[in-house]
Amino acid sequence: MNGLVTVLSAGASRTPPFIEELGRMMLPAPGQEILAYLAFAFYAGLIAAGGLAAVLARNLVRAMLGLVVTFLGVAGMYLLMASPFMAFMQLLIYIGAISVLIFFAIMLVRNTSSGEEMNLPGLCQAGGALVSAAAAAALCGPVIALNAGRLNQPGPPGETPLAELGEGLLSYYVAPLELISIVLLVAMAGGVLLAWDQRYRGRQ
Amino acid sequence: MLAALLLLAIGLAGLVSRRTLVGMLISVELLLNGAGLSVVAAAKLTPASDSIGQLTAIFIMGLAAAEATLVLAMMVVVHRRFGTVSTEALTTIKDAAS
Repeated sequence: MNGLVTVLSAGASRTPPFIEELGRMMLPAPGQEILAYLAFAFYAGLIAAGGLAAVLARNLVRAMLGLVVTFLGVAGMYLLMASPFMAFMQLLIYIGAISVLIFFAIMLVRNTSSGEEMNLPGLCQAGGALVSAAAAAALCGPVIALNAGRLNQPGPPGETPLAELGEGLLSYYVAPLELISIVLLVAMAGGVLLAWDQRYRGRQ
Repeated sequence: MLAALLLLAIGLAGLVSRRTLVGMLISVELLLNGAGLSVVAAAKLTPASDSIGQLTAIFIMGLAAAEATLVLAMMVVVHRRFGTVSTEALTTIKDAAS
């Protein structure tokens, strides 16, 4: 038994040779940088395409699929920023839970057989949408563009160990953690209350 | 950051242009995703503490889950009462009868 443990720990501490070889092959910085830019472009394209599909699709199920594609793109962005825990949480919470919730919403309240929205948005509404999007871009765009040069760090961002995150959650930020659990509980109880009260009132 | 801005713009446009509550919920999820992405990016690319950014984004995710739950319950109630979730039909704030 002891020997097995020793072998296992030795195997865990030693990097396999082919990984080292891979790292040496990928070490030249320009190549890695180009790869990072390619990945960024790919994920940004996913986000843009998914977001446009989510907003413009007339079929609500298709809009939800667009939303899932956007979530995937955002998870890729988290991976690219060396925070794999965030990417995992994104997959788990958004793609696993919230998209199912939205699908339930579509199923429960749809008023046409195909789940499509009844009518197209009017000209006024489309204009308002364009104005709001342009306002967001005009307010935040210049700030980001002006400060983009200062953001660049030499080399890729380092990864924060998961233990540090957990320690933060349990020491400095324990109050927000408890508060958010209370918020989730209240939201769940409120949802059940809202849905049940009406049903029993309807039967009486 | 640019991708987060894109999400913000698209989400706002969708929030205004959608005709049903479900579409608006989808747009709100886009907005919250953009917020989380921008917070993590700001924490990663500046000298600010990295763990604070990630924890903030996790709290945003939790709040988004709570909000989606509540909105689903509200949609169910509204659908029972009005028979539709189209935003144009929902102009009643308070029933005179009740």
